[in-house]
Amino acid sequence: MDQVYVLGLLVVFAGVLIGFYALMRERDDLHRILLTDLAEILALALIALVATDLAEALILPGLVVGISELLAVSEVYLAKEDLRTPPTAPPFRIEVMESAPGIMALILVAYGIILSGFTGGAVAAVGAIFYFLCRGQNEQFAIIETVSGYAWVFWIGAFFIFMLLPAYWFFAVMIAGGAILVKVMAKMSLIGTMRGGEHV
Amino acid sequence: MFNLPVTNIGGSELFVLEFGDIVNYFSVYTAALFAFALIFTALAIVSRPEKMVDIAFGGDAYYTKEIDPGLLRFQRFMAIACGLATLGAVVSGDVFNFTLFVSMVGITNIGIVAAYKNKHVLNAAFQYGIVAMLATVPLFGGAAIVLATTGTLSLWELYTAAVAVPLIAKIFLVLGVMGEGMAPFYIAKAEITRAQGAPFILMVHVSSLLVFLRVVEIVISM
Repeated sequence: MDQVYVLGLLVVFAGVLIGFYALMRERDDLHRILLTDLAEILALALIALVATDLAEALILPGLVVGISELLAVSEVYLAKEDLRTPPTAPPFRIEVMESAPGIMALILVAYGIILSGFTGGAVAAVGAIFYFLCRGQNEQFAIIETVSGYAWVFWIGAFFIFMLLPAYWFFAVMIAGGAILVKVMAKMSLIGTMRGGEHV
Repeated sequence: MFNLPVTNIGGSELFVLEFGDIVNYFSVYTAALFAFALIFTALAIVSRPEKMVDIAFGGDAYYTKEIDPGLLRFQRFMAIACGLATLGAVVSGDVFNFTLFVSMVGITNIGIVAAYKNKHVLNAAFQYGIVAMLATVPLFGGAAIVLATTGTLSLWELYTAAVAVPLIAKIFLVLGVMGEGMAPFYIAKAEITRAQGAPFILMVHVSSLLVFLRVVEIVISM
């Protein structure tokens, strides 16, 4: 253990103390969720202090667990405070939001497919989200969900090829790259559109 | 090839499940916990939930409560997920995997409790969720300190006498598990257990008990 690690540890512990004290004092529930999220960053900081490749790999699951707990608690908060209101039509009309989505979404999705993999999925999803934001959402989201599920299965299947038949690694890379593209795109394009639609 | 270095708590290993460098093990102790979790997961899968009956005080009147099948379906799903997470946590041979499974137990416990739409129960679920989220700080912190000081996360290495795990890491691990699995000990326990769906609520208690027993084994053996 070198000195930098000990110093970093002390800083994080100070942060933990401050965060927990703030949570103890805070009475507003929404503010407490936000403070809790801040405190979770300190857990990631503790992992990051290890400063090895393994620590880098451990941050992702830590982050995912933190986000999923945050989502769960936020949902409980929404239900608790009865904050669900049906979405209303946009109050104003913008011309470009009706003409641009088609071509923009096409370009982004095409570029995403060329990139492939996780990055490509994210780029293509931005195109899809832009389209849904502008044109409204009357699509069958159940179908997108199903496609995402099958893509996930292909992705996992590719990992089994890596493990069991390593000689066919190129085939597995192609499957994994394509499947993660579809999966990320499908999942991300559902952001902000699932709640309260008529096909949900 | 694999010999469990410490056998005074868990007994010698019965079966080893190897995933690359992550080696799960079933000792007498963890196999017993595993069997217990398996039984309750099976119960959550096959059981028919009870219907609540309220009796009016001071009279013969009673009324049954309406239970939304959708909510029960969600509760059953969460109970099964909780059982699977517990199964993973009790046989894990890796500290970080153990912490991940424990936090998954925490998330699913929130889900089980929060499935019931009652202001008081939701309030209790919210408070529990805040505690469970905060508990990830010592939980992952403990695993990270173990990694930083010993250079490994494998319990097979950590159980050997040559590797010394600092006390603070052990304390952090126990604190984290206390936070994640605290639903049965929570001050609003009455509110939580008042939620309907007896076999599913039971999973909250079983999972917490099992991960507690497991963390005791890990901390003492380390």
